[in-house]
Amino acid sequence: MLDGIISHQELLRRIDALRVERRLIGPVARVEPECMPPVRYFYQPVERADELALDFTYCVQSPKAVLLPPAEPLLRFDRESGKFRAGPVIDHTPTALIGVHPCDVHAIELLDAVFSNGNADGHYLARRRSLFIVAVDCPEPCTEGVFCRDMETHETDRGFDVILYRLDADRRYGVVFASDAGRAWLNPSLSSGGMRTPNSDDERTFIRYRQNKERAFEPRLPMPRRELPEMMARSYDSLLWEATAQRCYSCGSCNLACPTCYCFDIRDENELNGGGCRLREWDACMARDFALVAGGHNFRAKPGQRLRHRLYRKAAWIEAQTGLHGCVGCARCDRACTAKISIVEMLGQLAEEVQHAGTRP
Amino acid sequence: MIPVFDTSCPVAGRSGEPVGAKLAAGTRPRIAIFSLTGCEGCSLAILELENELLDVLGAVDIVNFREGMSERDWNIDIGFVDGAVSTPHDEAQLRRLRECCKTLVAIGSCACLGGVNTLKNAQPQNEYRGYVYGEAARHFPTADARPLSAFVPIDHELPGCPLVREEFLRFVKCLLGGRPFRLPSYPVCVECKRRGNLCSYERGQICLGPLTRGGCDAICPSYGRACDGCRGVVSNEALKAFGRNMRTQYDVSLSDVLERLRLFGAFQESALP
Amino acid sequence: MRARDPETRRPADTTDFPYSIYLPEAARVLNVNPMTELDSLFELELESGRALGHAPGQFVQVSVFGFGECPISISSSPTRGPRFELSIRRVGEVTNALHRLRSGDSVGIRGPLGHGFDVRELHGHDMLVIAGGCALAPARSLIQYVLDERQRFGSFHVLYGARSPNELLFRDELARWGQRDDVHCHVIVDHADESWRGRAGVVTKLFDELPELDRERTMVAVIGPPIMFRFVMLEVLALGIPQNHVYCSIERRMKCGIGKCGHCQANDVYVCMEGPVFKYGRLKALREAIE
Repeated sequence: MLDGIISHQELLRRIDALRVERRLIGPVARVEPECMPPVRYFYQPVERADELALDFTYCVQSPKAVLLPPAEPLLRFDRESGKFRAGPVIDHTPTALIGVHPCDVHAIELLDAVFSNGNADGHYLARRRSLFIVAVDCPEPCTEGVFCRDMETHETDRGFDVILYRLDADRRYGVVFASDAGRAWLNPSLSSGGMRTPNSDDERTFIRYRQNKERAFEPRLPMPRRELPEMMARSYDSLLWEATAQRCYSCGSCNLACPTCYCFDIRDENELNGGGCRLREWDACMARDFALVAGGHNFRAKPGQRLRHRLYRKAAWIEAQTGLHGCVGCARCDRACTAKISIVEMLGQLAEEVQHAGTRP
Repeated sequence: MIPVFDTSCPVAGRSGEPVGAKLAAGTRPRIAIFSLTGCEGCSLAILELENELLDVLGAVDIVNFREGMSERDWNIDIGFVDGAVSTPHDEAQLRRLRECCKTLVAIGSCACLGGVNTLKNAQPQNEYRGYVYGEAARHFPTADARPLSAFVPIDHELPGCPLVREEFLRFVKCLLGGRPFRLPSYPVCVECKRRGNLCSYERGQICLGPLTRGGCDAICPSYGRACDGCRGVVSNEALKAFGRNMRTQYDVSLSDVLERLRLFGAFQESALP
Repeated sequence: MRARDPETRRPADTTDFPYSIYLPEAARVLNVNPMTELDSLFELELESGRALGHAPGQFVQVSVFGFGECPISISSSPTRGPRFELSIRRVGEVTNALHRLRSGDSVGIRGPLGHGFDVRELHGHDMLVIAGGCALAPARSLIQYVLDERQRFGSFHVLYGARSPNELLFRDELARWGQRDDVHCHVIVDHADESWRGRAGVVTKLFDELPELDRERTMVAVIGPPIMFRFVMLEVLALGIPQNHVYCSIERRMKCGIGKCGHCQANDVYVCMEGPVFKYGRLKALREAIE
């Protein structure tokens, strides 16, 4: 069921209206002549709605950075003769994030859970509460190599304020609200020509849209998502970890590009005058020193152990801890890996191993 | 298979001691900056710390700095040295500096790795002496270019071509604040991803970022240029993996890989200590 | 497609945010007593006067601003009043900075954090505490607790091994415990020197000092470096003590201390949340915890 139908022009007008109170961040196209196709999309702050590329394929980096910046001050401190003063740094700049695909909406849901469960993280939550999210559904896979269908993240019905479905070529969007703020933004009763309530033709178009979408996404993993944890449980001692990790640089690109990787480091950045900031920075469990303790013992010293740790988190552990997707199938890790280590390929290889091992050990 | 040497800043952050541990308590550190064979760009880069230079100058005494002053003083707490050792004269000067400076810091790729100077090591000496010094060549004895650590113990290294100003500043803050200084143990990719860059490999470039020590804030990839490894190899594992991946995933030969790494001496057998 | 959920699942408006969970509270350093070349015992008090309110086995994050924060287990028992003690080994940037502090200086404290010993579950039991190396620091919190609440416990045995005599922590206390007749404390060192009158060897040798233990009544706490666990557990299990009577405390790199940053994970477990004290039955399922 759709809540409304909006024209492209009207949508842009409403986004510009959002700009009055919020900064806008969304996908922007950048010409990259050496790439195939020669365009890439990036989440960037924009001033006007027509700078946005709402028909983007995928953004190179996930929108994670909007909520969890690569580096952010948590505290500011001053020191003087053995004493200190420190206070929190909280950012609640009102922001609208326009153009989030369902996979990334699922990833944001996971971040929400991680940073609000148990010990609520006010730095994240302040930013999250100030964020208005407009999701854009994908009628077809955004690029080769994604496996969102397998992870059941190619569609979503929550975790955003508004979602847009691009129903036809003349850029007419079906609208579904998931919050009062979303409803207030595009309220169909304030119709101004470009925005109206859906009729039965629109609903039929929407049903066709969904049927076409079901056909467009094909599974890429050899087993359904719910069987992944079981498969992983039987793969702990596989030789594949060490074998594949021989190609790994321990550069952490897979972690840093991943929309659901949230691990971080905390360190103090000093100024010359004795003051400074306690910073939080993205960290990567694939990095060599991630589990190194001060005494010098490294609890995951080998690249194979780190690779195993990452895949277990993505395919089993995060979901066991939170009930949410640990991997959303966006394949950003596969694209980020210059060693061409692929999570899809690895899951396939592990499945094959487990199959060959026959029934349960 | 690639023969593997750990050419990556052998002394980088090995000691957990505070940078200023050898300073007498409560004194202003006496600092000197020297240049051996190189372009002296690293010394100049320090002068380019425009916003912070005055604060730094307010906290230390600079006692010997050819690029910045004319007075000379040889009672030195911390000596920074850029340039490689490329002549017998360089070597003698370096040994003297080691004696004068309580703490000796190599700055820039030349001092830490040998740098572009090491390109000459692959050529016959009489040839390059001829075209560098012309007819006067016989008055200028020269030798293979090597990093400082090949001759004397070095306390810290700040690699990069040129040195990373922010890293130099961080070093000075560690010095003044009594903190140990360590180079990052991760490769360039980490900062490149944090900056949200498009990966050079997506542009079809072979980038040395995955095996090069981070800390430069991925400046070259951020401007569309693939990393050339000026900060040295971050680990033997990364170097091994790189050789393997180039051969099996990119169809690039071993010699091409090594050629790229030789530019800044990041892979230079003769540069080994 | 899934049924529509009208809720956006945006995190609830629970708190206002001039507050940061990463903001430590100030604690005053009251005393610093060197114990070995590398270890000193810090006596601290929160400047608010509030008692820390910890359980033995829990830890705090200690801040020296400008240097950073590091996890330190609490060495004193909660029965000893609002002051608390941390045994700190000088091994990293923060701990080196801590060692330069003097009494009267301030540090930041977050905590108590993690899951310690559930002392109520221990009440009414015989106790066997086995500690190795600098892990006597967290063990001491439990030992002090048992001594302070002595009437709640049955027989009490402490086995402690260190590398060498000059690496022993809490030497005075060890001597005092050795003289009491309500605790059987045995100490061993790997490498004896001429000053050493006691036994030499690994900590498992001390098991021959134990009388026959009541298997059903005995609770065991094992705290030590990763290498120690396997060998000590072999001895403990050989005594026939049920696995759910054995607690282990493990070391990891706690950074945030609140189950977010990922550094302390052992397999799927955030050690800073579920640990550092685990029942052995839980720990043995974590392949990374004991290797």
